[in-house]
Amino acid sequence: MDPQKNQGTGASIVARDITKIYGTGPDAFHALGPIDLDIKPGEFVSLIGPSGCGKSTTMLLVSGLEPISQGHVEIDGKPLTKPISEIGIVFQDHLLLDFRTAIQNVMLQQEIRKLDKADMRSRADALFEQLDLVGAEDKYPWQLSGGMRQRVSIARALVHDPSMLIMDEPFGALDAISRTQIRHDLEMLWLAKRKTVLFITHSIEEAVGLSDRVLVMSKSPGRIVEEISIDLPRPRPAHLGEYPEFAVYAKKIYTIFEKLGVYNF
Amino acid sequence: MKLRATVRKAWEPALWFLGLLLIWEAAVRIFAIPGFILPAPSVFMLRIVQSAPQLAYHGMITTKLIIYGFVAGAVPGVALGYLIARYSICKQLLYPIVVFIQGLPKITLAPLMLVWFGFADFPKILLTGLITFFPVMVDSVAGFQSIDPRKYYLSKSTGASWLQTFLKIELPSAAPQIFSGLRISIVVAVTVVIVVEWLNSKTGLGYLVLRSMDGKDTSMIFATLVVGSLIGVFLSGLVQAIERALVPQGRH
Repeated sequence: MDPQKNQGTGASIVARDITKIYGTGPDAFHALGPIDLDIKPGEFVSLIGPSGCGKSTTMLLVSGLEPISQGHVEIDGKPLTKPISEIGIVFQDHLLLDFRTAIQNVMLQQEIRKLDKADMRSRADALFEQLDLVGAEDKYPWQLSGGMRQRVSIARALVHDPSMLIMDEPFGALDAISRTQIRHDLEMLWLAKRKTVLFITHSIEEAVGLSDRVLVMSKSPGRIVEEISIDLPRPRPAHLGEYPEFAVYAKKIYTIFEKLGVYNF
Repeated sequence: MKLRATVRKAWEPALWFLGLLLIWEAAVRIFAIPGFILPAPSVFMLRIVQSAPQLAYHGMITTKLIIYGFVAGAVPGVALGYLIARYSICKQLLYPIVVFIQGLPKITLAPLMLVWFGFADFPKILLTGLITFFPVMVDSVAGFQSIDPRKYYLSKSTGASWLQTFLKIELPSAAPQIFSGLRISIVVAVTVVIVVEWLNSKTGLGYLVLRSMDGKDTSMIFATLVVGSLIGVFLSGLVQAIERALVPQGRH
């Protein structure tokens, strides 16, 4: 199954020479860039790299959540000037509001965007079904496991049917078993909806396991050093080692990391 | 089992309290302590019953002032706490003034209030507001400052307006700290109103205490204090009930 064949409803992201410099004068810190991005509608793209390479900054710049120091971004051909709201975001720690139940956290999107309540509730219920959250609706975040919290957070990012999903190390705080399961659940959701996903990770397995394309980044300042297209059938299995190509892709990324000095064995 | 535990939880402190009153009663009788120094509980309890209409009348006036003063302090306390926590310009401009006023023994402003505003309710409410303001403001600053900055990314990504962000994210996030300030302030407000009533009143529990003192009517002082303390217990219970209704239990 070739993902390119299945044109989705996702947004396209084009970035040219985007750069982020925090602060000014001698204290200025060059965090990112310049980098270019060309992400097709409905594409699943991972950014992988060592800590401090500007992965999260990239995500904040292309979504308009942080101002760009230089360069420009176009979403669906339109220049980005303010935070886009046709978007869902998932952070490493769920960022659920602890005074709201799971379903109320998801319905925050409906309340703020003033969308139809019954319609959104049925969408939320469907997502809870798909994400194995049935029965957790009226629980508060502190009553849920880490994996379930992150699932609620994914439901919140998708319930309003955004054209773009950005995820900043969403499975970073989970144990290995939950991580494999939630990776699969995310892939199935993505296969059904084909939203554009920008996925930030430290994990080679996650990057190869989920993406159409992996962008490998170096640090200080953050740059994209390599682009690897992942041509593996979907849905991909729990044990990626089933594919001999997986080892080849993983090896490629390890080799780049070694060259960058990320690993020092 | 659970019912028994609940009953015990309610009755044990009540019995203990009753026991203390009995010891007090016995001590006054055994050592023949004069009533104008320390009246027996039975005496001032009877006094509460006898003077019930009078105590209720003045008690209501005091309660009204406490609530007005509390609101007059709490609302600006939350608002200013929000501004100081969120905008560094407000912090720079307001914080020095706030620290200065906080250091001031504010109850000593009472005579000044009297000179400026006379004997009406306004100076009493103003002074009570000024004093209840600080605990609420300090805890509000802490509450609004402790919001995870990435929650603002979340709110921006939903396209939330300023008001939506405030009502749906910031205010409920800071609520536990704000309520800890409110719980302190409501108790402080009771004291402040009674003290201010000493100074410039013809009504209220503070006035009643002062008048009883002039008449060497110690049992009436005690009766008034019991009513004052009941008002304090009731109002702080009310604040806690509102907190339980608004803030989900088990947070943090």
